[in-house]
Amino acid sequence: MVKVTVCIGSSCHLKGSRQIVEELQYLINKNNLGDYVDLGGTFCMGKCGSDGVSVTVDGDYYALKPENVMDFFSDVIVKKIPQ
Amino acid sequence: MELFLESGYTSLNKKGEELCGDKVEQINCNGYTTLVLADGLGSGVKANILATLTSKILCTMVSNNIDMEECVSTVVQTLPVCKVRQVAYATFSVIHINEQGEGYLFEFDNPEAILIRNGKCTDFDRKEYNILGKKVYGTRLRLRAEDYIVLMSDGVIHAGIGMLLNFGWLRKDVMEHLDRNLKPGMSARGVACMLAGACNDLYLGKPGDDTTVAVLRVREKYPVRIMVGPPVEKDKDDFYVERFLSGEGKKIVCGGTSSQVVARYLGEKVNASFEFPDKDVPPIGYINGIDLTTEGVLTLRKLLELSEIYLSNSDLTPKRSNKKDGASLLANMLFEDATHVTFFVGQSINAAHQGLPIDITMKLKLVESISNNLKLMGKVVELNYD
Repeated sequence: MVKVTVCIGSSCHLKGSRQIVEELQYLINKNNLGDYVDLGGTFCMGKCGSDGVSVTVDGDYYALKPENVMDFFSDVIVKKIPQ
Repeated sequence: MELFLESGYTSLNKKGEELCGDKVEQINCNGYTTLVLADGLGSGVKANILATLTSKILCTMVSNNIDMEECVSTVVQTLPVCKVRQVAYATFSVIHINEQGEGYLFEFDNPEAILIRNGKCTDFDRKEYNILGKKVYGTRLRLRAEDYIVLMSDGVIHAGIGMLLNFGWLRKDVMEHLDRNLKPGMSARGVACMLAGACNDLYLGKPGDDTTVAVLRVREKYPVRIMVGPPVEKDKDDFYVERFLSGEGKKIVCGGTSSQVVARYLGEKVNASFEFPDKDVPPIGYINGIDLTTEGVLTLRKLLELSEIYLSNSDLTPKRSNKKDGASLLANMLFEDATHVTFFVGQSINAAHQGLPIDITMKLKLVESISNNLKLMGKVVELNYD
């Protein structure tokens, strides 16, 4: 199970965390990965200064922009799923 | 037990009129609340002037404990006489009541006020007085918690006349409607809005007369404490959280950092929910022991918008929202449920927020505007800056 946490604090909300959440939910459903990816939210991670929405995948930190969600999903999340 | 008086009204203007010929006036003074609903003869400017004069005179005099007879004769002798109709005329209902629920009501020519007790409508036991040839009805009031008094102008019982209904809406129909639609815990404003909304429906959205419902509700105190933002002195977090939590009442935490500070103090975790019932409002969170946890500035901005709508006396959307976003949940607790609101505003600066439309000045401004609007709703508001 890959644990993906998206920040939904004020600053990340303005940077588009809602779009990211919805797109990730869509991608997870579309690829039938609901049993492998655990998507969750959190309030401020204290990294509001970074260029993008704060996201952690199994504890690793990323700053993600809404336009890069597709690539991020296939390059980072899918690769973490044990084959 | 000390009770709390809550009031609210909704007015519909006769179609095509810019001014309302009904006027509601309220003064809170020396532990007494005085509420007046006056309905001026005719409509438009003339009616508005008559109603304004009547309500102002009565409200000022009654709140200064001048007796009924003198108040009524003053109004009768002062009102300008209408050139067309050769009469000076405004009908009125006046409530003068203290925080123990004791006082009096007197009425002249308005539809009889309705008492709602135990969720059921009843009549007042009225006594007739003759003042300068006018029949005025007086009632001694001994109200209990969760009693409501509903005052209305004749636009209410005439609703739908000649349109949907032959003879308009009778007073007993109004009572039945209230019995059916009253939900426990409804605010005074909520009841006024519900009844006026029904009238508007009967008028098919085009009121044939100015229509006003004013409601006074006696209720028990319901304090709410709300923490917005972490305090400046970081090492004293625990002190501030303890002070916030120690008081009586519901607890609300607004803001990501604040919720983490509070959760840490309680030895709990903040669980952020992941649902976006409203695209402008970030999701809410959950902390064991806290009644509501929301995001900060964006939610407060929406709350301010909602408070403006709530305060509008012509808005007919139900006062209690069914929506599940953070701002609507906050609105229900603060506007509908609370009688006393205590803010704990932390002024710590989130460096990453500076320059964005969510910085500290924005937050402080929002809190100020919201607390002003809460005062306009009749809440007792206290602000603490940490």
